[in-house]
Amino acid sequence: MTREVLSGNYAQAYAVRLARARVISAYPITPQTTIVEKLSEFVASGELDARFVEVESEHSALQVVVSAAGLGARTYTATSSQGLLLMHELLHWASGMRAPIVMGVVNRAVAPPWNIGADHTDTIAQRDTGWLQFYPESNQEVLDTVLEAYRLAESPEVRLPAMVNEDAFYLSHTYEPVDVPTPEIVDRFLPPRESHAVLRPGVAARLGSFTGPDHYVEFRHELARATEAVGKRLPEVEEEYRRFTGRSHGGAFPTYRAEGADAVLVTMGTTSTTARTVVDEMRAEGLKVGLAKLRMFRPFPDDAVRELAGSVDRLGVVDRSYTFGPAGAAATEVRAAIYPTPHHPLVAGFLAGVGGRDVTPAHVRRMFEELLGNPGEATRWEDLLPAEVGAHG
Amino acid sequence: MIEIRFHGRGGQGAVVASELLAQAAFLDGREPQCFPFFGVERRGAPVTAYARIDDRPVGVRTSIVNPDVVVVLDPGLLATTPVCDGLKDGGLLLVNSPRPVERLAAPDSVRRAAVDATAIAVAHGLGSRTMPIVNTTVLGALARASGAVSLEALGRAIDRFVPSHPEANRAAASDGFASVRCVDAGVPSSAPPTAWAPTAPLVLPDGPIATVPSRSIRTAAWRTLTPSIDLARCTRCNFCWKYCPDDAVELDARGYPVIALDSCKGCGICAQVCPPKTIAMVATEETAP
Repeated sequence: MTREVLSGNYAQAYAVRLARARVISAYPITPQTTIVEKLSEFVASGELDARFVEVESEHSALQVVVSAAGLGARTYTATSSQGLLLMHELLHWASGMRAPIVMGVVNRAVAPPWNIGADHTDTIAQRDTGWLQFYPESNQEVLDTVLEAYRLAESPEVRLPAMVNEDAFYLSHTYEPVDVPTPEIVDRFLPPRESHAVLRPGVAARLGSFTGPDHYVEFRHELARATEAVGKRLPEVEEEYRRFTGRSHGGAFPTYRAEGADAVLVTMGTTSTTARTVVDEMRAEGLKVGLAKLRMFRPFPDDAVRELAGSVDRLGVVDRSYTFGPAGAAATEVRAAIYPTPHHPLVAGFLAGVGGRDVTPAHVRRMFEELLGNPGEATRWEDLLPAEVGAHG
Repeated sequence: MIEIRFHGRGGQGAVVASELLAQAAFLDGREPQCFPFFGVERRGAPVTAYARIDDRPVGVRTSIVNPDVVVVLDPGLLATTPVCDGLKDGGLLLVNSPRPVERLAAPDSVRRAAVDATAIAVAHGLGSRTMPIVNTTVLGALARASGAVSLEALGRAIDRFVPSHPEANRAAASDGFASVRCVDAGVPSSAPPTAWAPTAPLVLPDGPIATVPSRSIRTAAWRTLTPSIDLARCTRCNFCWKYCPDDAVELDARGYPVIALDSCKGCGICAQVCPPKTIAMVATEETAP
C-alpha cells in the first residue's frame, strides 16, 4: 500500500488500473475528463494493458463497452451530466444485456442554464435504468468503491452495471490523501472476470435480440431478482474487501451517531462529510442528532431505511437535485420505504447544494434546527438567495 | 487548520499552485485538502482555488469564505475582484506585485506581503512577460510569509509533480521565499484610491434567464488587454460590432464603435476581424501591475 495525494478523478483512474480493465471507451466532458485522460496515459505508457477506444459521442462510448462486456472483457467508461443523458438508451441495453460495466459519473448539473457544479440530477434521472448507483463522499471511498463495484457487478447472481459517482469539484477536482492498495492485494480480491454466458468467437449465440411476450416478462423478472440479490451480496463483498485492505464503508446505508437521536439527517455524497462534523459539534452541545448516508441509491436500501425509521421520530432527507416529483428523489424513496412499517417518523425534505452551491456547516446546522423544531413535511429550498438578490422581478 | 484561498487567471497556474501546496503539505506530514472552482475554461478568466491544511483529515467539503490567507497571482485582480472578502482579521494577503508592500490596496486589519513573482518567473524562463507562470514563485513566498508549508517539502513536491522545468521552478520558489516583503496588520495602507467600485448584485429578471443579454453579465474582470480603436482610420464597417461575442461593442450616433468596458472580456476578436486593422489590444492602467 502507498499513500498518495490524489484527486477524486485520479482515485477513480487508479482503481480502474488496479482492476485491470481491458476495454475503456469514453468521450471527454468536464468535470469527468481527467479520469479518462489519466487512464489514456496509463494505457499509452503500458502501465495498463487495455484497449482505449476513442469515439465520437458518449452514446458510442457506452455501446463499445457494452459490446466488449458481451465478449467477456472487464470494461470501464466515465461521463457527466449531458453526456450521461445522451447515454440513456444504452444504459438500458447495458443492464438488459447483463453487462457488468463500471462507469464513473461525475455528478454535474443539467443544463440549461449551463453549469458544471455538483448536482445529482444527472444520475437520479437514470434511477430506472437498472444500474447500481453509489454516491461516495471521499476520494478514498471512490477508489475502494470502484473495486467493490466490479466485484459486486460481476457476481453471478447480480451481473448488472454499476455507476460510481463523484460530486463535481468537491470530489472530482479535490486533492487529498488516499491509501492505494498494491496490485497483488487487488488481484486477490478481484480476479480476472470469469467469461461465462457471454459471446465467444466461433460459438453461435445472441444477446439482446427479439423476444416477444412469451419470454420478455421472464427477462425483466430476472433483472428484478438480480437487483434484489445486491442487498445480500454487498455486505459479503465489503467484508472481503475489508479482509484484504482493512477498510469498509458501512454497506448501502451507513449511520453515524444515530442511536438515540431525536433527529437524523439523510445525506448523499460530500454533504455527508460536512454533516458528520456538524453532528459532532451539536452532540457536544447536548443535542441528540445523527446522520445516515445513502451510499447507494439503486438498489434503494429499503430494509436499512426501515430499520432506522423504527427508532427515530424525525428524519430530514437532503436532496442535491430538483426532480419535479412530489418531493426530492431521496425523500420520496425514504417515505415509500417506511410506508409499510408501523412506526412512521416525520420525514422533512430539504433541497440543498443544487448546481454546485456550497452546503456549508451553517446550512447543515439550520436543517438540524428546523428538524428539531416543527418542520412539517413540505420540501424546503434550503439555500435560496435572499429575495432582494435572488427573486425574480 | 489553516485555510488558504488563491485568486488567479486561467493559465497562470492558480489551480496547480493549490495542488502543489497540498502535495508539499502532505510531504510535511500534514493532512491537506485542495480544490479549484472555475466556470469557464478560458485563459485569462478569473479562477479561484482553495486549500486547507490540518493535522487530521479535513471534515468539511465546501469552498472557503473566511480564509486565513489570500494569495493573489495577478495584481490586476485587486482592481476588479473583491479578493479580501471574508479574510480574517490578522490574516495574510499575499500579492504578486512589484509595488512596495505598503502600497497594496488592502484592509489595515491584515498582514500584507508582496513578491515580484512576475519578474522572478520571467528571469527563470517560466512563461512569457504577458503570461508568466508565477505559481511556484508565489508558493515560495507563501512558505516564508505564512509558514503553512516548508520550502524543503515544496521543493520536493515541485521535483515530483511539475512536469516541465522542475529545476527552474524550484529556483523560482527559492527566490520567492527569499524576496517576499511583509508588513504587519495595523500599518495603514498608502494605496491610491481605486476608481473601481463593486458592481451591484445581479437581480434575476422575470422569465427564463436565457433572455438576459450577455451585456448584463459583467465580465470585465477577465480582461488582461483592452481594445483601443484608431477612429481616424475606422471605416464604420461594423465588423467589430457584428462579431463581438458579448455585445460589448456599441455604435455611437455616427456609427463609430464604442467599447462597453463592463462587458468586454478582452478576447481580441474585434481586433482580429477589423479589415483595416484599426483596433489594437493594449495593456491599460487598470490591468497593469
